[in-house]
Amino acid sequence: MESRDVPCPFCGCLCDDVFVTVENNRIIGVENCCTLGNAKFLSKKRLKHPIMRKNGKWVEVTYEEAIDETARILSDAMRPLLYGWSGTIGEAQVVGVHLAEEIGALIDSTTSVCHNPSILAIQEVGHPGCTLGQVKNRADLVVYWGCNPIEAHPRHMSRYTTYADGYFIDNTASDRTVIVVDIRRSEGAKVADEFVQVKPGGDYLVLSALRAMVRGKSDVVPESVAGVKKVQLQRVADLMMKAKFGAVFFGLGITMSRGKYKNVRNAIELVSELNRRTKFTISAMRGHFNVYGFNEVLTWMAGYPFAVDFSRGIAFYNPGETTVIDLLERREPDACLVVASDPGAHFPKSTIEHMAAIPTVQIDPCVNATTALCQVQIPVAITGIEVAGTAYRMDGVPIRMKKVLETEFPTDQEILERIVIRIREIRADG
Amino acid sequence: MTFILSSGRTIPQGSFVEHKLSKGYQRATSMIYIHPLDIMELGIESGDRVHVTSDIGSVVLTTEATNDIPSGCVYIALGPYANAITGGYTHGTGMPDYKDISVEIEPTDDPVQTVWDLMEMIGGVRYGK
Repeated sequence: MESRDVPCPFCGCLCDDVFVTVENNRIIGVENCCTLGNAKFLSKKRLKHPIMRKNGKWVEVTYEEAIDETARILSDAMRPLLYGWSGTIGEAQVVGVHLAEEIGALIDSTTSVCHNPSILAIQEVGHPGCTLGQVKNRADLVVYWGCNPIEAHPRHMSRYTTYADGYFIDNTASDRTVIVVDIRRSEGAKVADEFVQVKPGGDYLVLSALRAMVRGKSDVVPESVAGVKKVQLQRVADLMMKAKFGAVFFGLGITMSRGKYKNVRNAIELVSELNRRTKFTISAMRGHFNVYGFNEVLTWMAGYPFAVDFSRGIAFYNPGETTVIDLLERREPDACLVVASDPGAHFPKSTIEHMAAIPTVQIDPCVNATTALCQVQIPVAITGIEVAGTAYRMDGVPIRMKKVLETEFPTDQEILERIVIRIREIRADG
Repeated sequence: MTFILSSGRTIPQGSFVEHKLSKGYQRATSMIYIHPLDIMELGIESGDRVHVTSDIGSVVLTTEATNDIPSGCVYIALGPYANAITGGYTHGTGMPDYKDISVEIEPTDDPVQTVWDLMEMIGGVRYGK
């Protein structure tokens, strides 16, 4: 059986033109997809049954026992943490937010350690953004700042920018200029028309210099800014001002480095400045296929996009305090539920040390680094391959994920709903 | 020698992301990209192992020479190896310093640890082999 236009459940590009061939309920062919998506579609390894740690050893248990233990852990906790969510669909995230409210938990997503600073900046100065379709059809100048699309979002350039045909672009190869700003000569930098190599931690300075130039104040810019020569900066500023439609994409190169959200704020303000002269937009290169979706879901339900603390009985949001890393660093949580992400591999050492010291449960199809930190792991169906539902592309466009394989594994949503029901039963028993 | 370390995505890291306990993932995330001149300065060859130490901790990584990174800077794929030397302080923003970390690098013959080893060092328990 062949399925056309299957959205890829890997990165925030959510490429929805993948062609999947299935035989005997196995994927035997994938077309149009990148290396990363291919690896996920064709992956065969998974955890086959729920596991639990008993007397320091892993044992196989039933779904019922694993759910029962999870419900007991969460209902016993004073300060539960519900974390992850970016690798599952909106329908499951909704249940997660309800669960957080019901048990007074703190709920946060992988946003906290990727584009949290971008959201903080947007909350300060707004978001002059657009959909990727606008970029594909109109942008004659594309800037990738602190991101490496070739390795992190491999089809971004071919679907939306450098190599994509556009309605108002006659020849994408000659009519689009690409600028890459990075600390190293990444794969993306090698295909750029202009590569600006910034010293680590120098993005804020370079953005400020460009803002001055766009304002017509080039005379205040010194000969070299964070390792970038003034002549190159002037060339870049001129390219930006001459563009008919410019699109800036930025990544973790500016959200994670010194300055954090202030870097993003400066980038947005540069774009606002450019909009006095021409049309310019700026967008974040979101990572997980549905990291944006969690921000949407939590905002509809609680009013804030990430890091919401329900312990007061109301939604309380104060990044820096209610963000997952700060919470773990203060060793506050006394129980943790991880859904559809792998903090074991991606959090600083001191924070996962605390996760290993408290009862932690993971809902995930695969054994991963977080498995080692858990007391219980519940395997589930793979979202976007075995489960259909809604995910949000990096530009905020919702896309219906498809189901191409049948499975006997329960979905994230089913497991979460069963946990909620079991917690209510435990609480009713007093 | 002192270097500035940044972490980020690489294709091999992303391809093995659903197989974190595999040798491929270990190789992809325990490789440190470094300029050939710095390799010479350290008195080693590309592929030799080094101890990388930050204020937070120390980890053994395998070097890979590349001209794509400026001298004085080093790069590693995100993952448990990078995080073994990343601190949890967020400057009140929620975001730890995953980039621009000051590290000391020195040659070593010690082996690169497995992902399970790293997880057990912080109190975890491996599943399976």
